[in-house]
Amino acid sequence: MTDQTIASHVSAPKPAAKPARGIWRQGWQRFARSRTGMLGLVLVLIVVATAVIGPFVAPFDAQDQSPMLDPGAKAPPSWTNPLGTDRMGYDVLSRVIYGAPTALAVGLGAMSIAAAIGILVGGVAGYRGGTTDEVLMRFTDFFLVIPMFVVILAVVRLLGVAVVDTPFESVPYLNLGVIILLIGVFSWAPIARMTRAEFLRLKNQEFVEAARCIGATSGDILFRHILPNALPSLIVIIALGIGGAVLAEAMIGFLGFGDPAAVSWGQLLYFNYQALKVAPWASLSPGLAIFVTVLGFNLLADGLTDAFNPRAKN
Amino acid sequence: MAGLAAETQAAAAAPRPPEATASPAPVLVSVENLRIQFPPWNAPVRVVEDVSYQVRTGETMGIVGESGSGKTLSSLAILNLLPPPARIAGGRILFEGEDLAAKSQAQMQKLRGRRLAMIFQNPGYSLNPLLTVGAQLAEILKVHEKLPRSAALQRVEELFRLVGITDPGSRLSQYPHEMSGGMKQRVCIARALLCHPALVLADEPTTALDVTIQAQILDLLEELKQRLGMSMIFVTHDMGVVARIADRITVMYAGQVCETGDKQAIFARPSHPYTQALLASTPRIDKSYAVDAQGRRERLPTVGLAATPGQSLGGGCRFAGRCPEAVPECTRLVPQAAAIEPGRSVHCLKRGSAGVPGHG
Amino acid sequence: MVDNLIAPAPEARPRAIRKPLLSVDGLVKSYPLHRRGLFRQKVMGEIRAVNDISFRLDEGETLSIVGESGCGKTTAARSILHLVTPTAGAIRLGETDVRATFERDRRPEVLALRRQMQYVFQDPYLSLNPRWSVRQILSEPLRVHGLVPPAQWDGAVEALLERVGLPAEHADRYPHEFSGGQRQRIGIARALAVEPRLLICDEPVSSLDVSVRAQILNLLAELQEELKLSYLYISHDLSSVRFLSNRIAVMYLGNLVEVGEVDEIFARPRHHYTAALISAIPVPDPTHQKPRDAIKGEIPSVVRRPPGCVFHTRCPAALPICSQQAPPLAAPDGSHAFACHNPR
Repeated sequence: MTDQTIASHVSAPKPAAKPARGIWRQGWQRFARSRTGMLGLVLVLIVVATAVIGPFVAPFDAQDQSPMLDPGAKAPPSWTNPLGTDRMGYDVLSRVIYGAPTALAVGLGAMSIAAAIGILVGGVAGYRGGTTDEVLMRFTDFFLVIPMFVVILAVVRLLGVAVVDTPFESVPYLNLGVIILLIGVFSWAPIARMTRAEFLRLKNQEFVEAARCIGATSGDILFRHILPNALPSLIVIIALGIGGAVLAEAMIGFLGFGDPAAVSWGQLLYFNYQALKVAPWASLSPGLAIFVTVLGFNLLADGLTDAFNPRAKN
Repeated sequence: MAGLAAETQAAAAAPRPPEATASPAPVLVSVENLRIQFPPWNAPVRVVEDVSYQVRTGETMGIVGESGSGKTLSSLAILNLLPPPARIAGGRILFEGEDLAAKSQAQMQKLRGRRLAMIFQNPGYSLNPLLTVGAQLAEILKVHEKLPRSAALQRVEELFRLVGITDPGSRLSQYPHEMSGGMKQRVCIARALLCHPALVLADEPTTALDVTIQAQILDLLEELKQRLGMSMIFVTHDMGVVARIADRITVMYAGQVCETGDKQAIFARPSHPYTQALLASTPRIDKSYAVDAQGRRERLPTVGLAATPGQSLGGGCRFAGRCPEAVPECTRLVPQAAAIEPGRSVHCLKRGSAGVPGHG
Repeated sequence: MVDNLIAPAPEARPRAIRKPLLSVDGLVKSYPLHRRGLFRQKVMGEIRAVNDISFRLDEGETLSIVGESGCGKTTAARSILHLVTPTAGAIRLGETDVRATFERDRRPEVLALRRQMQYVFQDPYLSLNPRWSVRQILSEPLRVHGLVPPAQWDGAVEALLERVGLPAEHADRYPHEFSGGQRQRIGIARALAVEPRLLICDEPVSSLDVSVRAQILNLLAELQEELKLSYLYISHDLSSVRFLSNRIAVMYLGNLVEVGEVDEIFARPRHHYTAALISAIPVPDPTHQKPRDAIKGEIPSVVRRPPGCVFHTRCPAALPICSQQAPPLAAPDGSHAFACHNPR
């Protein structure tokens, strides 16, 4: 009776399904068990689908004001206009649909910029330490305390004035691009801090020491060891940031500083809030769209947190 | 001071361990067929399965096992301190005429600290870092015995002296982080003894300490055993420690009892194959390991130790997967206790145990 | 001169004449204590984690460094591997000057040196990248040192797994899917991948279950014989030390207090700390009656080192001279060295 024969009959005490091997697949399995996370994912997918397919199936064009004639402005929801019409005679449903790609462009675009800057700054600060760390962190603090909105509103205003009679005036969506850039530039600081914290934590871990012992170069260690282990926390904070960026753009639009060429939910609110009493559907619809989008990304981030930091079993 | 002296005198007159008197001391705690399980409840994980042992007054029961043996969980169960979602799924824990397993948390709270006390593995984690040690321990006396602050602090100081803390008066106002590991563990031992408990549970109290400090703490525990007639359940994975401190031993593996009995007998004549494997494979400092002329070293015997654990929490004897003497019945039948000597029992089909079909 | 004092006695154990592999001379590692001012940091004092230790390790032998927490054994090991930068001292591996090589920091030299000495970590989980598969973990040293062309990596990985007693099919699993003992085998396999001459093992079995320790210790013994490895074995667990070592060095608060052949040290420890350490280990045998060499008190703080002999505050045989003058590490009979004014 050898170890092998008996051992092959008995099994380790694991639950029924054999877990998938890959780290990312296992993360997905844990994520799938989180109800908030799945709900968030569904909401986000709805928004993405709307942004991608919506413009092709929207009943009206983005700039089409024909409903002004029939059934007229501020008309309540009907079969031809499922969400009614707004103050200027646009079909609310179509405008909300066209607002989706704008929202996603802002969210993803701004966070891409923020992530690129933040990971770079935070990573270098965390890994190098010492004076480099101090200098970079003071630089980051500066960006943390600047009032984002005031600056963005000022820049957008000045930009509007400055590009008159210049070749820049004809650049499509220049305003929107600047907004995206600015939101990104003011959102990288929290990412840098998180990255720095993760790098500090990880660079003293034993497996990093082991890699050094083997003879790995600093580049190896940074990109193959530390970064992949830092990514989970970063993904969570970036997901949250996307929701925040969408919200920021909505606020900018609501204040009237949005890009007139682009359809954005904040701008829809700006155009229609004065008619809240007589045509509530025109304000509630874009408001609801913002709510769903931001909630979706927040719940997604929640689910990701659970997925990457599993609570101890038993 | 009077209270402690009287207690010491009373304890000195109390029944002594079996070898000192003709009749054995009365049973203080009797764990009977204890079962502890984890969810999911439709197919529960049976981490402790049918464990029984007895501790007599004035005796130290050493529970030996490796990680996953259930030794810590079964002792936590006595205090009803199982970490959720674990729960006691069967069996009784008889103490002073009552079944502790059937009591509610509120009822257990009255017993913990007074009749039952615990010393944990890591003294740093079980002491509140924000309070002075004097304040923390005095608090316990205030709750259980309604002592006023000055009387409580005085009792704490007496106990500090008892456990060998130097300069006890000034230690009262120290914080845990100002103390070394050994000192903190002495504080924890003092805390356990505050209300003169009938039973002390010690869960690997020396594992986190340095070797020379470990020896000091074991010396202290032995001294307290003699002076106070303490009854103790001492959980450990170290056969050397249990050889020093315990009177009787229970060996556990994967939630089942392998054998239980008098310390001298188990070390001299280990019966269960797991005990035999454990004793044979532990390197000893009192043995010279031969190296031959070519520089080849003798090996440690590893019979009964599989390279990859073939452990099951299913039916039958859970050591069967690694056991060199296992037969097919071993995986089906759960061995019951078989008496092989007076005061000794073993759970092994090959040593004469009867088998009962186990859960699949 | 220290070299001669603490070299192994050739007649002590029957084996072939060996060449010295690692020699450490006057190794010091100290950490300055700062007081932070507004713009400058004032140096207030220092913590000497390793205080001027010297020893030699021959090819094919196992030298164990033992001591309790704070004695500096792990810092010494890390200094040798240059995972921390030594403050002073000379370290030679074979013909190579270790410190000079790391300071010049020319990659081919550094790589060649790293190949020769490897480290087995204490914690088998933390020392493996949790997001890498075993295959990736074991391929990394092959990739970094270019020992084997990429096409042959899979074969090499499987051979390594077999050598440490793990099934080759497990190569694509992740560390958390293995038990502690298996993870430690993976750690050992990774260290062996570069075919080192010296393996520094830092408490490799301390965090493992008792029944797994014997297997890992046997594995280490086997590998040493098969691959002609030399071990610097760091531990506080004297029983595994007794099994695996040829010689033992005892450290206390950064100092070497005793060095000698293993049987000799256990039979006749000359330093009082060594005696206390040995007698403090509980033996799994209740009939074993040994005299207790008890020492009082706690390990003093590394920041406030006792003057003279570092051990005198706890020593049962301290003389007045012990608090004034630090005893040198000396070996009257050539192979058993100790630092004590009043040895046993």
